[in-house]
Amino acid sequence: MSSRRSSRSRQSGSSRISDDQISDLVSKLQHLIPELRRRRSDKVSASKVLQETCNYIRNLHREVDDLSDRLSELLASTDDNSAEAAIIRSLLNY
Amino acid sequence: MQPTSSMKEEFLKKWQMGLEIVRPSIDNTNVSERKKAIKLSADVAMASLRKGTTCWSRALIQKSATEDNFLVRQVLSGIKAETLINKKLTKKVVCHRKIVRRSKKISRRKSRSASEEAAAKAKRIVKKRTQGLRSVVPGGEFMSNDVLLLQETLDYIVSLQTQVNVMRSIVDAAEAEIER
Repeated sequence: MSSRRSSRSRQSGSSRISDDQISDLVSKLQHLIPELRRRRSDKVSASKVLQETCNYIRNLHREVDDLSDRLSELLASTDDNSAEAAIIRSLLNY
Repeated sequence: MQPTSSMKEEFLKKWQMGLEIVRPSIDNTNVSERKKAIKLSADVAMASLRKGTTCWSRALIQKSATEDNFLVRQVLSGIKAETLINKKLTKKVVCHRKIVRRSKKISRRKSRSASEEAAAKAKRIVKKRTQGLRSVVPGGEFMSNDVLLLQETLDYIVSLQTQVNVMRSIVDAAEAEIER
């Protein structure tokens, strides 16, 4: 498999195809990331898009973490009869 | 490309299923155990949306299975749970980097025009950035192909947005109810 990869990179034809694919994917990423979608200009460099993508994913991870924290607090009630516990459990189909 | 309502619905269903299964950890008074269980069931739910068709979801399934094998099996039931948990992921990118370094040394001996140099430099920067991506996308270290990495990243982001969207709705609604 390794020899296949190095011989493929020497052929300009196939590397041009993947360059096009890459720039297409990068532009799709640009539209997906709120930070970059707001910018009207289309001229965001690939490097910037990828950097912002990393940051965006890390932010999403942090948000999931924070939401898990908050939910964990909400479910803290060990008293099954409390109204709060009942509300949360019904939201979660418990 | 956005989280669809059917994706959100399915995520919620799978997450609820998972939460029911990890209920012993939820009812546990230890805060960190509770949080871990909530997060794990959310991740398994998100990964199960793709039914093992993407690299990131397979990597996330395998990672989650090491934390709670039973949970993963139950949520994935019917989607080849066994094979997904045990399937070997392909070689890590490290080997590939050595070959790239070797072929770079060879190409440097040839003379290059200024525009070729600029293109090569841009390519190097992009390569560095994709390394960053590999570290945040599950299974990224196994994605030797940049095109694959970017495709996986796109799908992973949409799935993450679904996860965050649904979790946020639930938590906001619950907190609003409590405050009444």
